[in-house]
Amino acid sequence: MLMKDSAVNEQIKYDVAIIGGGILGCFAARNLMRWNVSAVLIEAEDDVCKGITRANSAIVYTGYDNKPGSLKAALTVQSNRDFAKLCEELDVPFSRCGSLLVAFDSEAETVLQKKYHNGIRNGVNGLKLLSGAEVLELEPMLSANVRVGLYAPDTGTVNPWQLGIAACENAMANGCDVWCNETVSNIVRSENGYWITTSNKKVHAKAIINCAGLSADQVQNLLYPAEVSLDFDGADYLVMDKAIAKPKHVIFHETAEGKGITAVPCTEGNLLLESTARALTVPFASTLEGIRSVKDTVKAVLPQVDTTKVIRSFGAVRPNLRGRNGENISDFYIGNPAPDFYSLIGVKTPGLTCADALGRSVAEKVAVYLHAEENTAFSPVRKGIAKTDGQIICQCEQITKGEIIEAIKRGATTVDSIKRRVGTGMGRCQGSRCTYAIERLLEEEIHGENVRRAKETI
Amino acid sequence: MEKTCVEQKKQYDILIIGAGVAGLSAAKSAYELGCRSILVVEHTNYLGGILHQCAHYGFGDGLNGPEYIQTLLDAFPNELEYRLNTTVIGIHADKTAVLSSAEYGVQTICFSQLILAAGCREIQAGALDIAGTRPMGVYTAGQMQEMINVYGILPQSPVVILGSGDIGLIMAKQIAEIGGEVALVEQNSVLGGLERNQWGIEQYAIPVYFDTTITELHGEKHLSAVTLGNGAELPCKTLLIAVGLIPNQELLDGIGHPDWLHLCGNCNRIHAMIESVVYEGKKAGISACEKL
Repeated sequence: MLMKDSAVNEQIKYDVAIIGGGILGCFAARNLMRWNVSAVLIEAEDDVCKGITRANSAIVYTGYDNKPGSLKAALTVQSNRDFAKLCEELDVPFSRCGSLLVAFDSEAETVLQKKYHNGIRNGVNGLKLLSGAEVLELEPMLSANVRVGLYAPDTGTVNPWQLGIAACENAMANGCDVWCNETVSNIVRSENGYWITTSNKKVHAKAIINCAGLSADQVQNLLYPAEVSLDFDGADYLVMDKAIAKPKHVIFHETAEGKGITAVPCTEGNLLLESTARALTVPFASTLEGIRSVKDTVKAVLPQVDTTKVIRSFGAVRPNLRGRNGENISDFYIGNPAPDFYSLIGVKTPGLTCADALGRSVAEKVAVYLHAEENTAFSPVRKGIAKTDGQIICQCEQITKGEIIEAIKRGATTVDSIKRRVGTGMGRCQGSRCTYAIERLLEEEIHGENVRRAKETI
Repeated sequence: MEKTCVEQKKQYDILIIGAGVAGLSAAKSAYELGCRSILVVEHTNYLGGILHQCAHYGFGDGLNGPEYIQTLLDAFPNELEYRLNTTVIGIHADKTAVLSSAEYGVQTICFSQLILAAGCREIQAGALDIAGTRPMGVYTAGQMQEMINVYGILPQSPVVILGSGDIGLIMAKQIAEIGGEVALVEQNSVLGGLERNQWGIEQYAIPVYFDTTITELHGEKHLSAVTLGNGAELPCKTLLIAVGLIPNQELLDGIGHPDWLHLCGNCNRIHAMIESVVYEGKKAGISACEKL
């Protein structure tokens, strides 16, 4: 994304600095703009939402999984109810497709019953425990061996990076600055806040919101003794060709050993298949065993899904939050080691569902600390990039030149950034036919800017 | 619908999708049989299709791709109507096609006969069981062929090519010729492509890893190495996927095989030789004319 302030090594002052432009940072930024504060979002990568936001299951949960009385339960149930409105404000496709948690053995049956009662206590609407026959009636693509299912009609799916980018654009439209390619290297206390040193800049902020994702514990550790730390799991994902037959609902698979695979009919029309959690090897690297095990399990759970029609596979990283003594912290953690420093550390499922609520929560706390007044000019509305007629550049997804140019105008500086704004290269050829054409459009549109190109030499 | 098309002059006897060798051959043969109401639609901004990027020789009388295209265009009837930068986004059973272009926006065309000559696409890395990170530097072989031959962009060396079919062999030879370090990985125990494409492997002493495949990619931002099936790691900065071609038949989803539809070229079946593409194109042009 383009920087709003071009000066290098300049000392700049803001009320609030948000560190990390994943979906949480983007929503913290958006919600901060509800108040009269100046703010900058600082992102290490060349665009927002490129880390764990990107390798996400795209599910909007209902909250039957979460412990009654926990912050997760409260925020998930409320966020799910508000999700359609949020997506309408930000003009992001949202599909309330419903979900089926299905089990094939009697041991898992008790888990479903427990979750059902949990959900009722949390106030989740419409939950139903179904027999195998009832499950098959709702979702005929499931294996006939299914014994029991938990139906949650309010489960939905949304594209995580589209939502995060939309929140970022909305924050920018309301006055937030966004710096990309700026890694925070040091933070020191000042009399009334912090001096933050980044790759090319030094910035003063009266308060910090730390949403640095996989590095969020390290960012907090720059100043405050470690209350919490992160370790990581991995997972493998397969994206299927749009043309295959796919289930209508999100399918969660419960096994005797715990959570099995997940199948998500995404808003774009692709089926996304996710493995169960595994030990992390290399961050964001998939494993062959993982890919093969997802395919094998899908054959048993959803036998009609054509597992040969994979168009992309990738690995994800999941943070696990640990307390001082290494104990697992399962609830959302909002760190507040000083009155002017807030951290969202180790946020995972259902982080996408609760991103706006979590962002709003930390933004409000910071606004109260700063005695900020409400921003009466704040507009929650952002318009997405509209589909247009004209010359088609991405043949698979039928994305036009006009849509690509609009993405560039909104700040995309790489083929990848354009992909995540308009969907180019997301189809069955995965950009092998359009990448170079898009690079040329980038060059035409951004003279002299730092356009990442494939121009290379032997 | 038909009436509107006639009024708006959007009715053609023959609509040809794709202006590669198959589509151009079909258009020419239909024209020579007397058909004058033909529209050729092409999604790129040039005629000739994939031959555009084929710098190697061996087409017709020992020509390279662009030279061969020129011979086709020289013999191409001037008054034949074609549209570049135009994508067909739908074909319907009522014999209409929906076109999208900058010039006309989204437009419906009626036809009596349809010749689908939309070529093929390559199997890309994402479709294969290859684990690891997803770094930059992974291309399909044809994508790299276009980058080198049309845009003058060279791959970062060393290069590993997965698959020793014709495209894999041609790219291996070309990269060796321009001074790149290149190796081939082939799942079978013999080279795949035509014999005439194999001699470059010997000439440039290109290493071939037989009976194995690539199982994993390494590198955070940019590719640094690939792992082979036997566990060996090959350091490389570029990986080209040359494991096969798939006919572009998605436009036919839901319409079956009506008698007004004629397929030719690589969207019908994958051809090894240009002569059989020309032959199939001609045949499609003739059978479309016969049905008029």
